[in-house]
Amino acid sequence: MAPFITPLVTFDHATLAYGHRVILSDLSFSIPEGDFLGIVGPNGAGKTTILRAILRTLRPTVGTVNHAQNIRFGYVPQRDQVDYNFPLKVRDVVMMGRYDHVGLGRRPSMRDREMADAALEHVGIVHLADQLLTSLSGGQRQRALIARALVGEPTLLILDEPTNGMDLVSTTQILGLVRELHERDGITVLMVSHALNEVANYVERIALVVNGGFRIGTVDEIMTPPVLSEMYGIPVDVDEINGHRIVVARRNGALFPQESALHV
Amino acid sequence: MFDAVLLFKDALYGALVIAVACSVLGVYVVLRRIVFVGAALAELSSAGIALALWLGGRHLLPEAASHPIAFALLLTLAGAMFFGIGAGRGRIPPDATIGVTYAVAAAAGILLISKAAVGEAHDIFLQGNILGITNVDTLVLLGVAIPVLLLHVIFYKEFLFVSFDRETARTLGYNVRFWNLLLYFTLGLVIAFAMQFAGVMLVFNFLVLPAVTGLLLARSMAGTFVWAVIAGIIAAVVGFTVSVPFDLPSGPAIIAVSGVLALLAFGVRVLQRR
Repeated sequence: MAPFITPLVTFDHATLAYGHRVILSDLSFSIPEGDFLGIVGPNGAGKTTILRAILRTLRPTVGTVNHAQNIRFGYVPQRDQVDYNFPLKVRDVVMMGRYDHVGLGRRPSMRDREMADAALEHVGIVHLADQLLTSLSGGQRQRALIARALVGEPTLLILDEPTNGMDLVSTTQILGLVRELHERDGITVLMVSHALNEVANYVERIALVVNGGFRIGTVDEIMTPPVLSEMYGIPVDVDEINGHRIVVARRNGALFPQESALHV
Repeated sequence: MFDAVLLFKDALYGALVIAVACSVLGVYVVLRRIVFVGAALAELSSAGIALALWLGGRHLLPEAASHPIAFALLLTLAGAMFFGIGAGRGRIPPDATIGVTYAVAAAAGILLISKAAVGEAHDIFLQGNILGITNVDTLVLLGVAIPVLLLHVIFYKEFLFVSFDRETARTLGYNVRFWNLLLYFTLGLVIAFAMQFAGVMLVFNFLVLPAVTGLLLARSMAGTFVWAVIAGIIAAVVGFTVSVPFDLPSGPAIIAVSGVLALLAFGVRVLQRR
């Protein structure tokens, strides 16, 4: 694990709520520089709520969420948040990641264009720069969106459900690419996903969000039967196949009341 | 044939201004899937005109009848702001909110005009009276269209980004609500003025069909805007030129040409895919 230096985001006894509806309370954790953190949990558990607090679009009702002064987000949204009807070339989409550098009412420069091509090269699809985004496959689109996030030179790369709806090959390639960006370039990465089995084999730390509960730790600390069984509310086993950890719910294991929460 | 058209050249110039302005904004309208916001705003504008005529005709506010644009603007911009802040995010789906606005505004306009002592036939709201556009009207339309189009040229990338991917735009510090409101504001402004002459049907046409033609023909955003404007101009010129000597209603003639252009564009698209 890379040595942690400066926290980019710090939650200090933060309660996150929409109006009077509290989603998560008393959250205390930080995302240090160099981290590779996965926020994992079933749909509706509060992952997006934490993400919104990190992205500063939701303020805590109690406690604080502090950001480092130099923080710059490189955000990769869920693929269905992007409208593929727009007739935009891949390079034009990637250049959007530099729009805040370019300035209000100004056009991207040749340097912005070169940086967009470099980012596309980085994710292995520079040959698709002049293609329409809509003509790309799911995996290629995700690479284009990652390139857009990288071109803004972020201090924190955030990916929201990056492998949703992808096949096994694309999922492996995208997660491998993100891992490579972290290891090779030292990029701090936050990945949000509902798929524990996918994320656990790539990230260095896991924040588990289940049924209003929150637990954060290294992969070794979280990926244990006692922790997962307690969080998900049913007995689970953690097996290892060729160095990959797999979480499996025990058969006839509905001994706890919240078994429906398990989405691994 | 062209002599007859020349008699109405001011009206043609006015129609061209409306065609260009609506075709540009229409690209966003179609891509953002808010075509019925355009229709609802046009109906609100016509309700505003009807309200002014009713107030003036009933002597409740005598000056109102001579300034219907003020009432049209008021209602249209209020509607634009309402939709721009994201109306219908609660229990009522957004398209239902748009439908309610459209139906109520249309009915209110017809009811008000039917009871206005100095009212015109309510067909005028549907079909407009494009032949009645004068030189001064064209200048007024230009006075609205030029600043709106300049705004869209200058802030093209901002409008594009918040339309394409608002969440990412937000993470880069964009005030998404502001840019959305500005987009809807410009849309409301153009619709309110265009409605005075073109009517609901023609304004709706210019907001949708040229943009669809552009999207079918182009492979880039810039190309889409260019083709949309070209389609809007061709529809206005050909529809107008045909309608005057043959004594056809100009609005529907322009719409028919727009439809033919969209069909041709669809044919080109199909051939390109083969």
